Amino acid sequence: MKKNLLLSLLFGWIILPLAAQTKIEFKEFTLDNGLHVIMHKDNTTPIVVTSVLYHVGSKNENPERTGFAHFFEHLMFEGSENIDRGQYMNIIQSRGGTLNAYTSNDITYYYELLPSNELDLALYMESERMLHSKVDLTGVETQREVVKEERRQRYENQPYGTILPETLKRAYTTHPYQWAPIGSMDHLNAATIEEFQQFYKDFYVPNNATLTIAGDIDYATTESMVRKYFSEIPKGTKSVYRPNITEPKKTVEVRDIIYDNIQIPAVIQAYNLPARNHPDSYALSMLSTYLTGGNSSLMTKELVDKQQKALVVAAIPLELEDGGVFLMYGIANMGVDPKDLETEVDKLIKQVQDQGISDEEFTKLKNIMENNIVSGNSTIAGIAENLAEAKVIYGNTNYINQVMDAYSKVTKEDIQRVAKTYMDLTGRVVLYYLPKSAQPVTE
Amino acid sequence: MKKFVLGIGFMLLATGITFAQVDRSKLPASGPAPEIKIGEAETFTLANGLKVFVVKNNKLPRVSFTLVLDRDPILEGDKAGLSGFVGEMMMGGTKNRTKDQLDQEIDFIGASLGASATSVSASSLKKHQGKVLELMADVLFNPIFPETELEKLKKQSLTGLATTKDDPQAISSRLSRAVLFGKNHPYGESQTEQTTKNITLEDVKAYYQTYFKPNIAYLAIVGDIDKTEAEKIVNQYFGAWQKGMVPTFNYPMPVRAAKQAVALVDRSSSVQSVIDVTQPVQMKIGDADYISSRLLNQILGGGSASRLFMNLREDKGFTYGAYSSIDADKLVGTISASASVRSEVTDSAVYEFVYEIKNLVENGVTQEELDKAKAELAGSFGRSLEQPSTVANFALNTARYNLPKDYYATYLQKLNSYTVADINATAKRLIEPDKFIITTVGNGAEIKEKLAQFGEVIEYDIMGEPAKQLVAEADMTAEKVLENYLNAIGGVDKVAAIKTTKISMDANVMGTPLTIAFVYDSGNGRYGQKLSIAGNVMQKTTLADGKGSMSIQGNVIEMNEAQLAEAQLNSFLFPEAVYKANGYTVSLDGLKDVDGKPAYKVIITAASGAKLINYYAQDSGLKIKYENPASGDTFYSDYQAKDGVLMPMAWTIKSPQIPVPLEAKVTSLEVNVPVIEGDIN
Repeated sequence: MKKNLLLSLLFGWIILPLAAQTKIEFKEFTLDNGLHVIMHKDNTTPIVVTSVLYHVGSKNENPERTGFAHFFEHLMFEGSENIDRGQYMNIIQSRGGTLNAYTSNDITYYYELLPSNELDLALYMESERMLHSKVDLTGVETQREVVKEERRQRYENQPYGTILPETLKRAYTTHPYQWAPIGSMDHLNAATIEEFQQFYKDFYVPNNATLTIAGDIDYATTESMVRKYFSEIPKGTKSVYRPNITEPKKTVEVRDIIYDNIQIPAVIQAYNLPARNHPDSYALSMLSTYLTGGNSSLMTKELVDKQQKALVVAAIPLELEDGGVFLMYGIANMGVDPKDLETEVDKLIKQVQDQGISDEEFTKLKNIMENNIVSGNSTIAGIAENLAEAKVIYGNTNYINQVMDAYSKVTKEDIQRVAKTYMDLTGRVVLYYLPKSAQPVTE
Repeated sequence: MKKFVLGIGFMLLATGITFAQVDRSKLPASGPAPEIKIGEAETFTLANGLKVFVVKNNKLPRVSFTLVLDRDPILEGDKAGLSGFVGEMMMGGTKNRTKDQLDQEIDFIGASLGASATSVSASSLKKHQGKVLELMADVLFNPIFPETELEKLKKQSLTGLATTKDDPQAISSRLSRAVLFGKNHPYGESQTEQTTKNITLEDVKAYYQTYFKPNIAYLAIVGDIDKTEAEKIVNQYFGAWQKGMVPTFNYPMPVRAAKQAVALVDRSSSVQSVIDVTQPVQMKIGDADYISSRLLNQILGGGSASRLFMNLREDKGFTYGAYSSIDADKLVGTISASASVRSEVTDSAVYEFVYEIKNLVENGVTQEELDKAKAELAGSFGRSLEQPSTVANFALNTARYNLPKDYYATYLQKLNSYTVADINATAKRLIEPDKFIITTVGNGAEIKEKLAQFGEVIEYDIMGEPAKQLVAEADMTAEKVLENYLNAIGGVDKVAAIKTTKISMDANVMGTPLTIAFVYDSGNGRYGQKLSIAGNVMQKTTLADGKGSMSIQGNVIEMNEAQLAEAQLNSFLFPEAVYKANGYTVSLDGLKDVDGKPAYKVIITAASGAKLINYYAQDSGLKIKYENPASGDTFYSDYQAKDGVLMPMAWTIKSPQIPVPLEAKVTSLEVNVPVIEGDIN
């Protein structure tokens, strides 16, 4: 804060420090087997969230076996040596809880939210998953079918559903981010049961996991419960594979057309981003809000309201550990040529690059960010997830309390600078999504 | 070996030494149930009657203000839909701010602010509290109701209405409400094009002036604020609000059907049926059966472990999901069990619904089901308490429904006290299994007869009005309908005399003007169709020399054999004259209601099995609708004579591929003019 103050004096209005965050208190410890444990006590409501973040995502996969990390997210509900097949969810629900899980390019995250007198159960269930989950043929075959349905529902049957895989495929030539978590059905079909079992041994180990417990707990009791259930889980025998691959900077624009089951064309642009923990990430996130966040944002106002060239526009920084993509998409309005929409989008990008943003807009951005950060910690489920990510991605659990400071340091000039640096037209990916009916017949 | 180890573990535990050996063979038992502390809301009432609840929660520096009006439901009659406009109109600008200024000022502080006919709510960080209250009060007290805003909203509303006419879910909900409550009940009436057009600025203003009164309002304040501060700001912003008389209304209580019956909306393009097995129920929050009905519904169809879900989805695979609900409402609610199922299993699915409801009431629930339902509901109650707004809602309900002060404090105790016998008694009190109406939206030709086993089948139109009972004359045939049509437009000879035709039409989709041009040269097997926007050809179909092609935005696709056969049939301006000659079979599927007009439905089937459907008006004989599963529905009107033959000058095209119905008007129509190759391409 001292540094900020000095800069404020130098530049006057440029720096607008945000209010201090409400501090999130936590305690943490690491078991001998490497399991890192974070606890956050909040006794206001008698509920507790228990989560395990496994530091494995699609980027840790063998390029010949993509989709494994996400497949495991399904497989890990099949049960364990002591939990019957298909009962995982039922057990949690019949004790008044809910649960869910997700997989990204970087991590796999499991959580259950239960009444606080069920913490014992939650820890038992998660420790069963880590110690001896069922990884057998029956489970693999059952979940292959489920994943096929999911793929159909979320990608193939979903208009514009393939935007992420199609974009990643072109945005990366070298890094394993080139495939999306859903991966390849062929790879999953070709994989042997031994390969699945090996993946479990490689990645579902305590030294690759972060256990977070937040809510109506007592620190000492929770710690002893955690030790009871997790201490006996053996540490992984080898080091966890993490790709050390640098994606070369693209110097030529990649441009393509995707024919999809859609009626209205869409234009997608993707710009490679720096690593998630790079200081520029904050300015980039504010830039995306400036472009498309809210009714009064630049592109929404100009392209949706005034020119009515787009039905919707969105800029989403997909922040990944080794550097994600700044994804922008616009769905064209009826009868608007996608080329025309793209030209207008480019004009507005150029406007930000050349002219930067006004003081008033900058203040608005700070206010919106502050509101978002405060609201992001409004539930214990949100706090647990933020704590786990702070530790795993930013290497510092207390990062959860420093986010606001990081945004405070961003200047108006930074936003213009990152627009110039990262939204580089020569190295980007541009995709047109067009109706399948418009596809020329080959042969 | 395992036993031995466990034995040792037990001994060590017994002597108070914990050892890292866990009995993993059984699930850990639940700990002692935690005490559920429900935060208290502090209340006070202003002199003008405004009742205020304050729920202090300073975990986060946020604050929210929610103002709710508690008025009787309103029968809007020929202005149905009015209340849907009030909130947006209040947000349309104030004496102090244009709509744009309002949007910008809300975004500027990262706040949210919204209004409806019965509420205004705002939230922001604590430090912007003064500003957000100023904006909220401006919207509440100073709306100017711009005429332009109403016009815009009406246009959007008409677009929305048009889409709900094609949406089976929307049709189903309109149908169920109309059948249960009747059109003269606030819950049974529906907004239509006409009622929307009837709404004036004066109506919106009158609504606002009548109902936005502090004496029927509750204000819930939640967040980083205490009662003292709340009192100060409430007085400052809402103290001068003038109280006033607000009308109250009574409505006759809807009665249940005397016996089970089926209400059907025939939607011939449906491949799924939307089924709703429903009856009205009189129950509100706080009634003796309220909590037990939550448990009952959880068991019947409350989630993915319920009886309906397990039966219709997991066991039979009829549907992606089947659910039930039992409403609690001050006036009247509904009991409903519903699902969207594949057309061919419609009757089987209805059978299972009827069975499950009857079985529930006659044979009751099991202890195991009840225990699970209790755990699920108690868990969800506990989780809901994390949101401070839940406490405000409890306070609001306590006041609105005149509940005992400790109603929510003892909610879980009450929930847990119910026995199997209690739940079974509630089921018998609330549900009458033989008095359900089974509403169904689906393909009548496929499902109507099969539904007759469940009771009298009464047909309704898509707006929930009884369908006209239409019966075609006994001696009417498809051939006669086609013959009458050809006669009606001018006779076979006059039709045959038309060799070539060029038609140009203008239309407008959401502000974008389109031109559609057709060229017919049937004698030479040539046909062309073009769709252009601002002079650019977006899409085009060409038939010539026995070949066909389609082009979309410059990409050309050659037609395959099946596509060509279908395109050729469409290449005749009067295909009725050539159906027979081209090997199509025609059949009459009775007299149907097409936008209020009785019309013969003729199904034309190609040798390949492909079908298209035409409707011919009973009175005039003219073709008024063309239905094609691939391209959608086209409605023809405004027939005018050209060279002695009547042709439609107005086409309305409804297709799943376009968001709003396309109204096309013929701008030029030339008959028997030379057709050159350039016209076709």
